[in-house]
Amino acid sequence: MKSLIAFSKKEATEWWRSGRFAILMVVFTLFGIMNPAFAKLTPWLMDSMSESLENSGIILGEIRVDAFTSWEQFYKNIPIAMIVFVLMISGLFATEFQKGTLIPVLTKGLARWKVYVAKTFGILLVWTVGYWTCFGITYVYNDIYWDNSVVAHPIAAAGLVYLFGLWLTAMVPLFSSFLNNAISVAMGTGSIVIASYALGIFPNIKSYVPTYLLSAQALLVRAGDPEDYLLVIVVTSILVVVSFVLGWVIFDRRRL
Amino acid sequence: MNMLEIENVSKRFGDKQVIKDLSLSVPPNCIYGFVGQNGAGKTTTMKMILGLLPMDHGEIRVQGEKVTYGQNLTNRYCGYLPDVPEFYNYMNAREYLRFCAEITEMQPAEAKLRSAMLLELVGLNTEKHRIGGFSRGMKQRLGIAQALLNQPKLLICDEPTSALDPVGRKEILDILVTAKSQTTVLFSTHILSDVDRISDRIALLHGGRVVFSGDKDDLRRRKPAIGFEVELENSNAVDAILHLHSDAKRLDALRVLFETATEAQMHAIIYSMIQEKIPFRRIEKSEYSLESMFMEVVGK
Repeated sequence: MKSLIAFSKKEATEWWRSGRFAILMVVFTLFGIMNPAFAKLTPWLMDSMSESLENSGIILGEIRVDAFTSWEQFYKNIPIAMIVFVLMISGLFATEFQKGTLIPVLTKGLARWKVYVAKTFGILLVWTVGYWTCFGITYVYNDIYWDNSVVAHPIAAAGLVYLFGLWLTAMVPLFSSFLNNAISVAMGTGSIVIASYALGIFPNIKSYVPTYLLSAQALLVRAGDPEDYLLVIVVTSILVVVSFVLGWVIFDRRRL
Repeated sequence: MNMLEIENVSKRFGDKQVIKDLSLSVPPNCIYGFVGQNGAGKTTTMKMILGLLPMDHGEIRVQGEKVTYGQNLTNRYCGYLPDVPEFYNYMNAREYLRFCAEITEMQPAEAKLRSAMLLELVGLNTEKHRIGGFSRGMKQRLGIAQALLNQPKLLICDEPTSALDPVGRKEILDILVTAKSQTTVLFSTHILSDVDRISDRIALLHGGRVVFSGDKDDLRRRKPAIGFEVELENSNAVDAILHLHSDAKRLDALRVLFETATEAQMHAIIYSMIQEKIPFRRIEKSEYSLESMFMEVVGK
C-alpha cells in the first residue's frame, strides 16, 4: 500500500510540475466563466448587430436570456473541454513507455497494477475536479445573475454528462495499455466515441450507447426524467469497469 | 549457489533468432563482463533476466529463484541500470532516490542515509538541479545510485560506459569496482578494455550463443603465449631490425612483431639489438588477449 501511495505522490508531482494540471484547470475555469458570460453578453451583442441586421431585412425582437441560456452554453462547450482533456492525458502512459522511465521503477519490484491504478485514479480525479469546477462556476454565476430554478434537474443532467466523461477517460488507460504513442491513444479513444455515435443512429439501441448521455440537456426543460437514463447509466458504468479491468490485465502483460 | 543461472535460453523476434540455447552461470561477489558486438543479444538477455521480456525456451534463476515474465519477484534481488537511463526530469537526484526508496517501502531513516551515501559515491551530492538538465554521464551515475539503493545482490548494468567520454567512463568503472564489495556486478559492453580492466570473469556472446565463459586466466590459458612485440625508438631502428631479421613483421611506424619466435630465439634477437646498438623502448611477450579471442570469434 505504501508503494501505491508513493507512486500516486509521484503522479501528483508530475501533474503539478509539468503544468498539465494548471492548464486543464484554466481550461475548465474559462469554460465555466464563458457560459454565463456568453448568456450575459448575448443581448448586448444582438443590440450592437441589430442595425446591420435591419439593413439586411432581419428585425430582431426582444432578446431574453436566463439561466437556461447559460446552461445551453454549458452543454455546447463541455464536449470541447472533453476533447482538450483527452488530448492532454493521452500521453500520460505513452511518454513513460517511450522514454523508458518505468523500467527502473518496475525492476525495483513495484507491481505493475500499482502503476496502472495510480495513473488511472489520477486521470479520473482530475476529470472530476475539473468538470465539477466548470459546473460549479456556471451554477454560481447563473444563481447570481438569474435563477437556476427555471431549469429542471440541473445536477442530474450534469451527472449524466460527467459519467460520459468518466467513460471517455477510462478508455485512455485502456488504449495506453497496448499502444505506444499519445496520438494513437487519442485516436483510439476518438474512434470509440464515433462508433458510439454511429450506433446511436439505430433507434432500437440509441438509449443504450454512452453518447446518449450527452442528450441529458433535455432534462433541463423537462423533456424527460432522470429514470429514462437508467439503462444507459448501467451500460456505461459496466463499460467503465470493463475498460479499467481489461486495461489492467493487458498492462500487466505488456512488453516494456 | 550461483547468483545467476541461465539455462538453455532461446529468444526469437519474428524470423530472427536473437538468443540460441544460451547458458551461463554468474558466481557471487564478482564483476562479470558480458561481451559482444552490437546486436549480439546482450540487452535482450538482460531484459529476460529482469522479466521484461518473455523467453521462448529455457530457464533463468536469480539467487536460486525462477524468473517469470511480467510481475517478476526475483527483481527484489536486482538493481538495474538500463543502457539509456531515463528518469523523471522534473525531480532532482535526491527527490528521485527518495521516490525509489518509497516505492520499495524502505524505512525513511535508512533511505536518507543510503541516498546521501550513494549520491556521494557517484559524485552528485552537491547537485541541486533537476534531472532534466543532467548530462548523459550524470544520468548514468544517478542510474547506478538508484540501482544500488536497495543493496541488491545482483547489479545489472547494460552498456554503462558506451556513450561516455574517457573521464566519464573511468568514473563509472571506478564506481562499479567499489560496488563489488557489496554486490555481484553483471555488466554488458562491447568496449574490451573496460572488461579487461575491471571484470573477474567474462562471457563472450556471439550469434546469440556464449562462445566463451570463464575467468581471465582461463582465457589466457586457452592458447600458449608465443611471439614478441618490439617498440623501437625511431624509424631508422625499425629499418635496421627488419634488415637484420627477415622473420620480423612491421606492425606500424615504430612497432615490429616476431610472430613465431620462441623465448630462446628472442634472447638472441635482443642480444643482436644490443650489439648493433638499435635503440628500443619496449619488448613485450604476446599473450592471447580478450581482443585476440574476440577478433577470432567474430571472424575479423
